[in-house]
Amino acid sequence: MSAGPSRRAFLAGVGSTLALAVTVGCGGATETRIEHAAATGELAANMYITVLADGRIGLAVNKAELGQGVTTGFATLAAEELAVPIDRVDVHLADSLAEYRTSFGMHQTGGSTSIAEAFGAIRRAAATAREMLVGAAADLWHVPARECTVADGRVHHLASRRELGYGELARSAAHRSIPDHPYLKPRSEFTAIGKTDLRIDARAKVDGSARFGIDVAIPGLVHAYVIHGPQLGARARELHANAARSRPGVIDVFAFAGGVAVVADKYWQALAAAKVVEVEWTRGDTAGLDTEALRIAMRADRSDGATTRDDGHAERALADAAVKVAATYEAPYLAHAALEPLNCTVRVDGARAEVWISTQAPTLVQAFVADAIGGDRDDVLVHTLPSGGGFGRRGVADYAYEAAAIAKHVGRPVKMIWSRESDMTHGFYRPPFATTMQGGLAGGKLTALVAHGVSQSIILSSGGVLEAVLPGIPHALKQVVIDSLIAMVGTNSVPDVFATEGITDTPYAVPNLRVGYTPVRTQLPVGSWRSVGHSFNAFAIESFIDELAHAAGADPIAFRRALLEPGSRQARVLDAVAELGGWSAPLPPGRGRGVARHHSFDTEAAEIAEVELVGQRIKVRKVTCVIDCGIAINPSIVRAQVEGAIIFGLSAALDQEIAVKDGVVQQTNYDSFPPLRMFEAPEIAVHILDSDRPPTGVGEPGLPPIAPAVANALFALTRVRLRRMPLQRAWNERGGAA
Amino acid sequence: MKLVVNGRSLEVAVPGDTPLLWVLREEIGLTGTKYGCGRALCGACTVHVDGAPRRSCVTAVGDIVDRPITTIEGLAAPALHPVQQAWVDENVPQCGYCQSGQIMTAVALLRAKPAPTDADIDDAMSANLCRCGTYPRIRLAIHRAAKVLREGSR
Repeated sequence: MSAGPSRRAFLAGVGSTLALAVTVGCGGATETRIEHAAATGELAANMYITVLADGRIGLAVNKAELGQGVTTGFATLAAEELAVPIDRVDVHLADSLAEYRTSFGMHQTGGSTSIAEAFGAIRRAAATAREMLVGAAADLWHVPARECTVADGRVHHLASRRELGYGELARSAAHRSIPDHPYLKPRSEFTAIGKTDLRIDARAKVDGSARFGIDVAIPGLVHAYVIHGPQLGARARELHANAARSRPGVIDVFAFAGGVAVVADKYWQALAAAKVVEVEWTRGDTAGLDTEALRIAMRADRSDGATTRDDGHAERALADAAVKVAATYEAPYLAHAALEPLNCTVRVDGARAEVWISTQAPTLVQAFVADAIGGDRDDVLVHTLPSGGGFGRRGVADYAYEAAAIAKHVGRPVKMIWSRESDMTHGFYRPPFATTMQGGLAGGKLTALVAHGVSQSIILSSGGVLEAVLPGIPHALKQVVIDSLIAMVGTNSVPDVFATEGITDTPYAVPNLRVGYTPVRTQLPVGSWRSVGHSFNAFAIESFIDELAHAAGADPIAFRRALLEPGSRQARVLDAVAELGGWSAPLPPGRGRGVARHHSFDTEAAEIAEVELVGQRIKVRKVTCVIDCGIAINPSIVRAQVEGAIIFGLSAALDQEIAVKDGVVQQTNYDSFPPLRMFEAPEIAVHILDSDRPPTGVGEPGLPPIAPAVANALFALTRVRLRRMPLQRAWNERGGAA
Repeated sequence: MKLVVNGRSLEVAVPGDTPLLWVLREEIGLTGTKYGCGRALCGACTVHVDGAPRRSCVTAVGDIVDRPITTIEGLAAPALHPVQQAWVDENVPQCGYCQSGQIMTAVALLRAKPAPTDADIDDAMSANLCRCGTYPRIRLAIHRAAKVLREGSR
């Protein structure tokens, strides 16, 4: 990834270049565009696309590269409409300018929406630039624009055998007005979309040259290690740091809102000094929280809560049903545990700041840094770097606040790097869930379904985020707005959309269906974790549908198909996975097969898992996935995302759990919060269903079906139904409370 | 003290108990080697010392003075090493953060076992975590690189 024009413009700092770059970046006034072209020979067509003087294409990506391949996706879309080979597109991650706040008023990445958003925006931006270049050439040659074609980064007039490169046309193209409705290629004309299989960032990621947030180097940089208290929100009551302060390279050791900062010239000096710091902590906000007690309370919760869907007369139909089935499904808190520990580099200059960070939410970083230094968010410039994993954790900016507070305190540019232990014990966790399902069958058909979820609300945990995304509202009023929003969710007058997503909007046709939700409160922060509410809700509904199928004596796929609209995406994907996953094929002895499907982020995914027991260890041997995500921009990356989502989801389904005792998170590193390793990774086959529809989510939808597919396969193998994640623990404890 | 990194001899002034990881990253400027866990659990910091994979996050620099160290930056010379090329060809990296360590482990594996079985790959590569779940493609890439290396040595 190379430094594009806006990145270059900003290396000078936050000063006067900001105003110019904003107007150029917007592609706003024609005059500014002409001035920029005169000075640089570039066509700054719009905030995404710049045609460089050498004919290469500068592309600003206002999404985080988390490994999901968004930079390759954006580059493919631009290359398609500009008719250039993808290696002539210079991608850079956009700085935090206001015009890049294209997602709910924020510059952010989440909800598997980037490519869906870009499919229109980036193609239009690139087509706009192309039409300006074509227009410039047509004028020059005195021919109609419609007689001109583009290929390989050049405009051609075939009749007169004339051609010019984009770089040669950029200056004059800047004089043209922005076309209102640029022509977009139909799918039949695509040459890059759906046909590109490479990753533009692969080379840098295999030779050690890729730069993540943790690799940032700026002049005068010092380094900070943060000692966090055992409980979230704990403060240093007593700090004994004289020994640490006298160590070589140490600049300062001090207590601050986040804990205790140890700042030294080099990070290794800060690490060594931190070992001799002694801190006495206050009891933190989470003191007293115990996840075993919380689990019992959640299971016992019988409150009515809020109703999120109410079709027919569910209770009555349930009472009338010939066969009734009821079950409660549970799941614990989960950490994201991205491999790059949270880190942030900040340079503070009075009430202004410049930030370098691997983040999913530059707009939130602006707000949190501004808060830490007492400035305005628009005086904070954020440079986004590729992330060593995000999974939702980098969608919040608590760590940027800490780095900014430290940088302000020491008056020097600071790179703060959290330890793995801090990363795991100071998270925004996937909430715990306990969902009770009741179903009624009549004549083998599902006539009634009542689902009630109990979980911790992500929205209720998001006060800081809400504050950050309501700019321009006076603080006092903002607090009123936030308080009333939270009160509405807390009292269930407005339901929490994440809590029951995937159940409330189930595509299963059940005539009598009621879905409800009760929030529980704790002081442990929760947040988005790859696929958010779907990460659990698919486990609840797809396990239960399987239980109902068995109660009805029906084949699990046939039972599901009967509940889906014939010819729908759901039905097509289910049929495809049955065929490609060999649903009817004989199994070797000792192996069980299970299916699950789920719709999330506008994408349908179905998976068949094959499991075995080796001793008492649940081994997932093979997973077949069929996904309908609309047009696949880069099929190899789509498959990679699904493979990754399955392995990420399997780690959680089998083994992972964040447990809390007296407010202290018990898991501190990868030994106690184990991701799956190579020797347990199943064989995975991913099939993308052909589609003419615009692209939909890919990063997350592969995850929700895997846990229920495995639980269903294990039932098929053993006739033991596991209703609690992590499944390995439930298996070990079966016959007891599980 | 004197370190030999990627064939270069370097003088570094750090205490002997400083982890090699941070010496590479902060004193020598080789940031391709990554910090992931600090406890030799994840393998993101894997380098070669005397040709064998080693977790630089728990390796005291004083213990490896004068012994040849190879980092990810030292593999390409200047064309990509066949293992790196296989990683590109199989589209292995997602976020890419763990891949320096994965590649260093794989290079050492193929040196010891030029034709590794799936079980050999499981044994060697289970030392390295990937949170993005690139394991299936790492397996393909190792088989591909093994083939290229065997054909090249004929």
